[in-house]
Parts: sequence; structure tokens; C-alpha cells
Amino acid sequence: MRLERSKKWWLARARLEADTTIGAGLLARDPEPEEDLEPSVTTAVEETRIAFGRFIRLMRRRRGVSVEQLATEADLDARELLIIEDDVHYLPEPRTVFRLALTFRVSQQLLMQLAGLAVACDPQLRREAVRFAARSEPVQRLTPEQNAALEAFVAVLSQQDPKKVT
Amino acid sequence: MTRSVSHIYLLEVATGVGVEAELRDCIEEAQLIDWQTKWQPILIAAIKDLSRRGVARAQWPQSWHWDWRAKIAQMEGLIAFKGFSVICADVTQGLMRVDLNGLGRAPGQEGKPLVYVDYLEVAPWNRMDMGQTPRYKGVGTALLSAAVALSVEEDFRGRIGLHSLPQADRFYRDRCNMIDLGPDSGVQGLRYFEMTPEQARIFLKEEDEV
Repeated sequence: MRLERSKKWWLARARLEADTTIGAGLLARDPEPEEDLEPSVTTAVEETRIAFGRFIRLMRRRRGVSVEQLATEADLDARELLIIEDDVHYLPEPRTVFRLALTFRVSQQLLMQLAGLAVACDPQLRREAVRFAARSEPVQRLTPEQNAALEAFVAVLSQQDPKKVT
Repeated sequence: MTRSVSHIYLLEVATGVGVEAELRDCIEEAQLIDWQTKWQPILIAAIKDLSRRGVARAQWPQSWHWDWRAKIAQMEGLIAFKGFSVICADVTQGLMRVDLNGLGRAPGQEGKPLVYVDYLEVAPWNRMDMGQTPRYKGVGTALLSAAVALSVEEDFRGRIGLHSLPQADRFYRDRCNMIDLGPDSGVQGLRYFEMTPEQARIFLKEEDEV
């Protein structure tokens, strides 16, 4: 398909845009406007996602590897890992969470919940996630306290999956 | 498959002059790489900034999470879908995916075939809603023009339909003279717009044509 119009035509059409940002798309308004969501649901998802990103970061640091090295090891895109560690609003791909669960040897189901990919987040996991996030503020090096927080959370994630395959 | 390139002009806002660009009837790997490496970092940084400043999510750029790689992968092997891109200065400036299975809803057009604009997005540096002066104007209009031209080529007589992002409602209604069929409860309340054959003819007409 070729569209041939004069320069004058194209520029006249461009000026018509004025101050508008043109966009269109089915299911475009995502995330939903806040007023359409239950505030408690939004908060719960964000709480666990904070814990998810922080968990991935600390597990990586405990291994002493860079984002790039972890991406190679887990067969993932380094860019997505960077976003996961930093962006509480980012919804990761299910495959990514699956690969991370395998790499870190934790429950896939619980990590899915933590990442906000599984809807039913059990209250106990949520409490532990908030506790973990609150105790593990990132600093330059992993402190014994962070390490302890991480160990405790790894234990929670590892023990609660009845279908975990070793 | 044969790819067509139309030579178009965009308005460079900083200088106020027209610059040459290309409208291609395809989205290829180079465009997806631009989206990943040039668009996404800007969008993510903007979202982080909005989040830090406590700006309500409803005010965030409404297409920030769109995954064009996934959208193009969904089209593979489906002849009813087509992708379009606008390239200027060797960089992708806008992307659009259309569906040829659309059917008219406007009075007098019910059930008639149309080109439905699935997704249309311009690069973050061309957007007013990113809180900056856009680099180029005309990208969105060029993509919309492609949808209308494709509809003519497919013998749909220029009929197109789309669900507008809220900030563009007035543009489609007042500047393109499309018919506003109101909020669509099945599509998150987005307003549905249609262009009739007569409106398409006027839209594509050169100013000096009779």
C-alpha cells in the first residue's frame, strides 16, 4: 500500500494534531485507573511486588553475580531483570518468574503470587513479604541482617509449596 | 511479501519545518529493537518519575505497558492483521497494528467491513502527555492516514474504526470528523469512533482537489 500526497498535505495534517497525543487501542487503559480498583487490592499487589523485586536483587547479590550474569544463568533478558529489581509496577512474564524460581530453587507458585501473576495471595505469604521488604532495605553490601531476612524468606518460599519438585 | 514505502513529511517542532520520513506497511525487527532500546527506557523512566511524585495512575501515559514484540508475534501468519510504522532520521517514530475483520457500527454502516485500528502509538519523544515539547508532529496522523488508505485499497471505501485513548477523543471527533459512538462498556469504557466513506474521502483529499 502506497500513499502519495503532497508535502503541503502532510504538513497540514501534522498541524491538525495541535497539542494532542494520538493513540488508540483495545484494552489500552492499563493499568486501570485507580478509582476502578479496590484500594486494598492495589496495595496488596504493590506490597508483594516490592518484596519480589527486592528478593530477586538480594538473591542475586548473595550469589555475587551481576544482572547480566544472572540473566545468562537463568536464560532471561537482562533488561527485564533490571526492571524487576527496580520497578514495583512492572508485571513480569510468567516464564521469567518460572525461570527465577528454578534458578533460586524456591516455589514457583509462591513466587508467582509474589510477582502479582497469581491472584490468590495467601495472607501469610503477604505478611512475610511485607516483613521481608521492610527488613531488607538495599545497601551497598549484604549485611548479616539482610542475609538473615533473606534466609528467613527463602525458608518461607521453599517450605510452602506442596507440589515442589526437587 | 512485498513491503511498500510511502514518502511522507512530518513537522519538526523545534524548527517548524517539514522533514522527510517514511511510512512503511510493515513492522520489522528494526522497529521492535527501536521500541525496546529507545522507547521503553524513556517510558519506564517517566513512569518511575510519575510514581515517585505520587501522580495518579490514571494520569500516566496510557500505553506505557504495551508490548509491541508480543503484538507483532500474535500477527504472525494471520493475513487479517497488518502492521505499519513511521521512520524518520533512521528511528521508529510510531507504530500501528490494524485488523481487517472489523465491521461498521455507525448509522448506515452497520455490518459493513472496515479496518479496525487495534493499536496506535507514537514514540515517547513525540508525545505531549510526557510533559515535554514533542520532537515531531504528524506521526499519529500519518498512521491514521495509512489505515484509511488501506481501507480504500481493500474496497472498504475508507471505513475505519478505533477505540480512542482518552486524550485523543477530541482529535478524532473534531479534527478527523469521525463519528463518536460513545463509551464502549466492553472495552474499559474507551470511546469508539468510526470514519464513514464520505469522511474518509474528505480526510484523504488534497486541499486543491475539487
